[in-house]
Amino acid sequence: MSGQRKCPDCGSSEIVEDAHYAQNQLVCADCGFILTEGLLTTTFQDEEHLQEVTYSRSTGQNEQLSRCKLRGIKRVQDLCKVLYLPAVFEETALSYFQRAIEHPSFHLVSLEKKEILVGCCVFVTCRQHNWPLTMGTICSLLYADKELFASVYLCVLKELELDVPALSLTDLVKTHLNSFKLFQSSASVPAKFAEDKEKMVARTIQIVELASETWLVTGRHPIPIVTAAAYLAWQSLQPVGRLTCTFPRFCKLAGTDLPPPAHLRLKELNDILLRMASQLAWLRVLNVDKKTVVKHIGDLLQHRHFLLRSSFSSGDTEDQSATAADNDSESSPQAAGCSAQAEGCQPGGKQKCSSVRRPLLPPCLINPRKRLRTAALSPSDQAITGDEAISDSEIEQYLRSQEEMLEFRKAQAWH
Amino acid sequence: MEPSLENYWDQSPGQDDLSSAGPQLYTPMSPFDTDLPIQAAQSASFDSHLDQSKELSTDFSSVDLSFLPDDLNQENGEQTHSEDGHEVQREQYGSQLTEQDSGFLNDSNLSQLSYADATQPSPETSGACPPLTPMTPITPMTPVSESSGIVPQLQNIVSTVNLACKLDLKNIALHARNAEYNPKRFAAVIMRIREPRTTALIFSSGKMVCTGAKSEEQSRLAARKYARVVQKLGFPAKFLDFKIQNMVGSCDVRFPIRLEGLVLTHQQFSSYEPELFPGLIYRMVKPRIVLLIFVSGKVVLTGAKERSEIYEAFENIYPILKGFKKAS
Repeated sequence: MSGQRKCPDCGSSEIVEDAHYAQNQLVCADCGFILTEGLLTTTFQDEEHLQEVTYSRSTGQNEQLSRCKLRGIKRVQDLCKVLYLPAVFEETALSYFQRAIEHPSFHLVSLEKKEILVGCCVFVTCRQHNWPLTMGTICSLLYADKELFASVYLCVLKELELDVPALSLTDLVKTHLNSFKLFQSSASVPAKFAEDKEKMVARTIQIVELASETWLVTGRHPIPIVTAAAYLAWQSLQPVGRLTCTFPRFCKLAGTDLPPPAHLRLKELNDILLRMASQLAWLRVLNVDKKTVVKHIGDLLQHRHFLLRSSFSSGDTEDQSATAADNDSESSPQAAGCSAQAEGCQPGGKQKCSSVRRPLLPPCLINPRKRLRTAALSPSDQAITGDEAISDSEIEQYLRSQEEMLEFRKAQAWH
Repeated sequence: MEPSLENYWDQSPGQDDLSSAGPQLYTPMSPFDTDLPIQAAQSASFDSHLDQSKELSTDFSSVDLSFLPDDLNQENGEQTHSEDGHEVQREQYGSQLTEQDSGFLNDSNLSQLSYADATQPSPETSGACPPLTPMTPITPMTPVSESSGIVPQLQNIVSTVNLACKLDLKNIALHARNAEYNPKRFAAVIMRIREPRTTALIFSSGKMVCTGAKSEEQSRLAARKYARVVQKLGFPAKFLDFKIQNMVGSCDVRFPIRLEGLVLTHQQFSSYEPELFPGLIYRMVKPRIVLLIFVSGKVVLTGAKERSEIYEAFENIYPILKGFKKAS
């Protein structure tokens, strides 16, 4: 029992445990004072260790739930612990899971899917609280197939009628960069490669916002963009030692994967930056190319609003003189450079200008893949009523002759 | 009635975009139609007409049409009168629109007319003002300057039909050139014909699914051809309960779309997960159509049982998408 107690009434230490109608009571042997009655703990050991016994363990709740549900609940709790999620998230995820597992479309699915269901519930909870968690992270934690996860996730959203807000890129950048191991020099990270976290996060966010304004983000997977932006930000903060470091090497240093589309995103970002650089008067003299533009990212980001407006035509390519007039409102050296360029273009004809300034469009519209475009219904097709006569000869072309059938039979093993 | 109505709409775009010329009493049905220029200056001159139109009921016979020229084939001087006349009519529609509280105009007239409108030849030049017969009141619809002028193209029609007899699939696969049958993979014969270019799944119960046609009539013709093939193979096939189950259309709005913005404003209908799929999935409630909207401006519409549902859905989404065009 618990340690020695004194009777509050008479002060004696002779306390015995007695049962009154099977209810345990602590009674003072001298005066009969009842110290405690009706102890409601379940396990002796917990009492001994003076630990609170949780509700779920003291009631028969666990016996009522099926093993699959119990396991699922435990997995949800484990996943929340691994991700260091607040307690509120765990409760919400548990409630979603319990609702989902009751649902007929999830009750009898394979174990793999039930595991993924756990991940989906946690993922939905995080997204609803704007906690930037990606599907890739959950899939790697659960060793789940991404496509299966996608289908279960969409099913969960539909069946439970949940609304999930869009992923915030800024938060995603912060979370993703948290996992980078570049912020302290160590055995694998030389001093010149280590970088201050705040500066790197700030610059990466700026580059990602630039990408978002120039249509590089819409419709694409967010992580490769964040990785490419982080690489550019890291390089630009100290170009001297870092220009020679390749993208794969950077990812290895940071301890993160290099997703395959990241190379393309890097190329697209460089293209945008080069176009912006061509509008800065002092950079035009320096002849930047895609290797050296990194050095000037700081300047480009600082003036990005102006540079975007002047590097890209706003849809129609005709009104370049109009935008040259807009530039006059900005600081003079840049304006002079731009208007000079515009004037230089105009006598030269429009062809040169259109190659310098392209419209600000998503890459899929700028490099359209040559695809077979299905033509509209021809007039003869449109005249079909659906009730035309069908000639015998047309149908007979689809039937085998006797010789063919014999050949076919010979060729078929199973017939 | 129909031809004159078409001509009525037909004329309006021909004369110098009414969106810039006329006073627009049209109150936008969706909150994103903010790019309708309302010409305050011109509206002053129409005040008298406005008051008149607001008092009038839907019965057009009481509208004063005396300002319309008797001879309709006149020069531009007279043209403006007829333009005014159209404006009055339009204002009446506008006032009726304000009375309605629907979020989306769902009349089938709308879809048919906009379809008809889009296939009109180039609008007639001056002097094409037709006599305005007193029209029977119809549910007001979006003025022509709002319709997109783009018609979604049907890409695929899925239909089912009951042949009403048990079929021996092995037999069919043996006797037909254009059939494939792999019972371990799928329990149906896959048959194809060249004209119309379609594919059919034929089940042993006698039910058949026909896919790949580009129009309802083509689908029906193809299904009949498959039934004839089955008949020629010796089965007493009938052609019962032909039904179109699904129609898929696609079109291009020709401007890029900010999907992130669209999912923020229409969260209850849209699902945009770039990690999963590059397009935004928009589940429209009325009509019940699913749209896949891509950043390039291409839109795929699916889930329709009728052609008009696709057109209506596109006309509903187009003003919303236009609201995101200038945001870039």
